[in-house]
Amino acid sequence: MKIRIDKARCVGNARCAAISETLFPLDDDGYIAITEVDVPPGQEQIARRGARACPERIMIIEEDSK
Amino acid sequence: MSETLSPAVARPDHITDAVFYDFDMFADPAYLANPHARILDMHKSAPPIFWTPRNGGHWMFVSHSANFEASRDVEKFSSEIVPQSKIKEMLAKLPPGAPHIPQPLPINIDPPDHTIYRAPLQRAFSPKAINELKGSIRELAISLIEGMKPKGSADFVSEVAEPLPVQVFLKMFGLPLEKQAAYRALVKEHMENIKNHDPAMIVRRMLKLTAIMKETILDRKENPKDDLISMLWQTRIGDRETTINDMENYCVVLFTAGLDTVVNGISLGAYHMATHPELQQQLRADPSQIPAATEEMLRRYTFTVPLRRVSNDIEFQGVQLKAGDRIMLFLPGADLDAKEYPNPEVYNHKRENSVHIAFGAGPHRCLGSHLARVELQVVYEELLTRLPAFSLDASKPVTFHGGHVVGPDHVWLKW
Repeated sequence: MKIRIDKARCVGNARCAAISETLFPLDDDGYIAITEVDVPPGQEQIARRGARACPERIMIIEEDSK
Repeated sequence: MSETLSPAVARPDHITDAVFYDFDMFADPAYLANPHARILDMHKSAPPIFWTPRNGGHWMFVSHSANFEASRDVEKFSSEIVPQSKIKEMLAKLPPGAPHIPQPLPINIDPPDHTIYRAPLQRAFSPKAINELKGSIRELAISLIEGMKPKGSADFVSEVAEPLPVQVFLKMFGLPLEKQAAYRALVKEHMENIKNHDPAMIVRRMLKLTAIMKETILDRKENPKDDLISMLWQTRIGDRETTINDMENYCVVLFTAGLDTVVNGISLGAYHMATHPELQQQLRADPSQIPAATEEMLRRYTFTVPLRRVSNDIEFQGVQLKAGDRIMLFLPGADLDAKEYPNPEVYNHKRENSVHIAFGAGPHRCLGSHLARVELQVVYEELLTRLPAFSLDASKPVTFHGGHVVGPDHVWLKW
């Protein structure tokens, strides 16, 4: 599972990092530091919660195709 | 509190019957009686985007979708209510040696300059920087709440909600003790005149503010300390050095954006808890739910109404807007929109979609949101820990004000 992030549109709400700082690391100014999260197995639920917490709706969840 | 309705202006040609609705955001009687109940009613009785003839005539964006889209489209919806080019022209006409007229940058400026002016503040208000202040914010909250506790009944607004953000700022600025009294007096003046939006009076107050802070600002340039003013001197505005004028602008923006917003936000939360004893019980039993409760109270009682100016004639969500039209981003409406939040009137901090835009959306997202969240959470935590069950004091009914920051004038609690 992957989370794709439209990093240029991040405005620094940091709600994703409030769910998981490890999956959603921020830079020193409080913006998202990455453009993609390769979600480690077992962390899908917390990754989904983090992505959905974004008020700007710039995180796209890509579920693994089965 | 009852207010006189502002006179209705003539309806311009592009305002059709379908988008006309008479609402005075400063004086509508039902709104002042219970703002958020009136907003819920507005979702049923008013168009999602409407024009009102009150207060000079302006648009109100009520739906979530209109607020979200407009907040993020800074080209169509300018934050320069007076264009910066015009402000520069006016300032150039001032006689030489006239005092610098401070401006609340970066609130009233569009990208790309917005980005440049905001950048130095961004790090100081990042989640990481704010987390380091959490301990001292908690100490302040504890001392205010413990100070009020023996009284058994008190106005939460003046005892806790107002002093807390002021003391946090004084600490961040590192303003010396002898200047703090003057700063507090000015905050008091600002709060007492919150319903008066006369621009000349606001400018005079901002000049008083910079006069109080100037000596400290200049001192920190030469003698940096561990405070916000020293830190701002050490950053750059784009490719140039920070000037005293920039520093004054920053002091003004923090004053105008960071005080009454927090005051009203915390007070609305205290009001909700006072009227919902079962929620107090639930949160006392499990304080780990307080962060989620803080978010849901922000959604249920969103309180700021930012302003925009339409850049060019456009059709927006089926409505004709003309260049120069003023828009109220009615965020309290957005967060009570049933299309986004089913049963919006129901407080439920476990609701499926709890993602609100109380701090706005787009590049002007409230810079102080991380500080505000910590202040709100810490106050709720300490209030619930330190006070027994509290309720509204029925002998002193809650009154509300409208305007750009909506909330209660006083919230008398008893316990």
